[in-house]
Amino acid sequence: MENKTNKNGDARLMKGNEALAEAALRANIDAYFGYPITPQSEVIEYLTREVPNRKEIKTVVLQAESEVASINMVYGAAGAGARVMTSSSSPGISLMQEGISYIASAQLPCLIVNVVRGGPGLGTIQPSQGDYFQATKGGGHGDYHLIVLAPASVQEMADFVFDAFKLAEKYRNPAMILADGALGQMMEKVILPEAGSLPKAPAPWATTGKPKDRDHNIITSLFIQPEEMEKVNLRLQEKYEAIQSEVRYEEIKTDDAEILLVAFGLSSRICQKTVDLAREKGIKVGLLRPITVYPYPYARLKELANQVEFMLTVEMNAGQMVEDVRLAVEGKVPVYFIGRMGGMILSPEDILHKVESVKEK
Amino acid sequence: MEIKVDELAGVKYTAKDFASDVDVKWCPGCGDYSILAQVQRSSPDFGERKENIVWVSGIGCSSRFPYYMNTYGFHGIHGRAGAIATGVKLANPKLQVWVATGDGDMLSIGGNHFIHLCRKNIDVKVIMFNNRIYGLTKGQYSPTSEKGKVTKSSPFGTVDFPFNAVKLATGAGATFVARSFDRDPKHLQDMINRAAKHHGAAFIEVYQNCPIFNDGAFSLLTEKETKPDNVIVLEHGKPLVFGANKEKGIKLDGLNPVVIDLSDGKNSVNDCWIHDEFDDNPTRVFLLARFSDIPNFPVPIGVFRQFSKPTYDKDYVQQISDIQAKKGAGTYEKLMYTTNIWEVR
Repeated sequence: MENKTNKNGDARLMKGNEALAEAALRANIDAYFGYPITPQSEVIEYLTREVPNRKEIKTVVLQAESEVASINMVYGAAGAGARVMTSSSSPGISLMQEGISYIASAQLPCLIVNVVRGGPGLGTIQPSQGDYFQATKGGGHGDYHLIVLAPASVQEMADFVFDAFKLAEKYRNPAMILADGALGQMMEKVILPEAGSLPKAPAPWATTGKPKDRDHNIITSLFIQPEEMEKVNLRLQEKYEAIQSEVRYEEIKTDDAEILLVAFGLSSRICQKTVDLAREKGIKVGLLRPITVYPYPYARLKELANQVEFMLTVEMNAGQMVEDVRLAVEGKVPVYFIGRMGGMILSPEDILHKVESVKEK
Repeated sequence: MEIKVDELAGVKYTAKDFASDVDVKWCPGCGDYSILAQVQRSSPDFGERKENIVWVSGIGCSSRFPYYMNTYGFHGIHGRAGAIATGVKLANPKLQVWVATGDGDMLSIGGNHFIHLCRKNIDVKVIMFNNRIYGLTKGQYSPTSEKGKVTKSSPFGTVDFPFNAVKLATGAGATFVARSFDRDPKHLQDMINRAAKHHGAAFIEVYQNCPIFNDGAFSLLTEKETKPDNVIVLEHGKPLVFGANKEKGIKLDGLNPVVIDLSDGKNSVNDCWIHDEFDDNPTRVFLLARFSDIPNFPVPIGVFRQFSKPTYDKDYVQQISDIQAKKGAGTYEKLMYTTNIWEVR
């Protein structure tokens, strides 16, 4: 899924939230609905500022009265066939869960961006990865999944907007970008995707009015007969099976690795440094970074379990993705965990120390 | 534990008794400091032990309020303070329950809970700090921002129309509706004290300056030079007059309020509208509330309306005791063996 980048090398220094918003404009979104919440308010601020300056853009940007309203506006616009997105941070994403479940059931494409902050509850405005379970295992009610991309750089904050819409429209499924407060706020060099380079998939199912030659169409998630509801579920499950082929991950120095770090998003950036520090000491550490956290790279982790002594999962939470790593390796190798919570971030040295202490056991 | 009224005898509080030891963290110059001070100064007059007072809030700058009060406190969920306060009051109707909220918290996501708190006439007192901006998220427009307002999320001006909170509370059925300013300490204390004495859903809108993101939003109404011509103080049984020398008044011409000049010899104070707080017809309250939306009309402060209506919490407790008086108190056995039972043989 390589994105076409501007031939002129459109490189800029941008905040993650702003790069994401700019990419959304370049993806020609029809609508954005959102509500301010730290640390992602820059998204709506950037969009409201930029849209009127660009003649070619006809995006609707609306500050809703709440995240509940935002996600329902997204539901409405997606049902009408629009390329639509919302963004928020953890407490706001919790508010959206009801709508997300309905959108998943009604099989509509849209993009939901979660710039995660520390929880639970109102928590803190500092970065966290505490919403992994919510993003990958459901969050709302019923058997559904989002397609979840976890960026680890400002570049990916921009690129994954394109990737997420591509996948959402291909599978008629809501997609999520699972970032965190640091990725949203930090500034890095970014080469922006070329504007208009993401063609829109046809949406024959959309509620665009009923001409004579078209069947009556209602967007719904209500299927009161259990036989019918089961069929809808089977169709969803078949789709999630197909989505497994979209799994993406990055490997760093895994060829000869004897110890494997597993980390996504910001934690994976920290782990890269740990890999270098460990190798300076002669410890052969590698890193696997899931890029999609749903679908998850179970198969590759299972393979690597034949090669390494142990795995160490590194997360900014109490240990969530570690459960998927353990599922993947099926007990072949020990899987350890190190993490911090509440907006605290591990240092590369903390992780190295953990590697060394496990190794000495 | 029930605290008997006579235990209050001999307890004399001062404002300091209601100040917690938490450092107050609002921006320098924030109007919230004044609201906090006026609440603390008024609290000794509530006639309640501080252990029986609960401050509930949602999310936003205003919602830091419970930390600063030396009473029980509840920092809740965005917009949900009304629902949480309802829960607190119904679980223990003996508590005096207050809500500290803002225009964003209470009128955006909290709008639903707010109107139902008013409709049910829950005995909860709501102080809404209205600065017409989202302060905590650093300056986006709120549901009370004036149309066309330029903010971080409306760089070319807002398109939507603001709520008039007094109208909303009145329409939803609040039984005490008032407005005051952060910059008028005595008036604000008076409103707080009157809300404290009221039984039922009480709402005070406090115009509050946010010096960082919406500085001067109410300066026309609070500055010495402009205040007299732009503010009208509502007092029960008194004529609606304003101006530095009370030289202007409001006359009701049918359903149209008209500003009249009392110094021109044609009109006198006898022509002015006499404010009636206890009028149970809300029509005049809506006319008064509309003043703030009409250009060149003075903005009313004071009690718009107060009337007595059974409160949900009292009626609910009453209903249960009435049924118990008729049928006797329920027991587990009665519940299990008296209604709709059958034997499987």
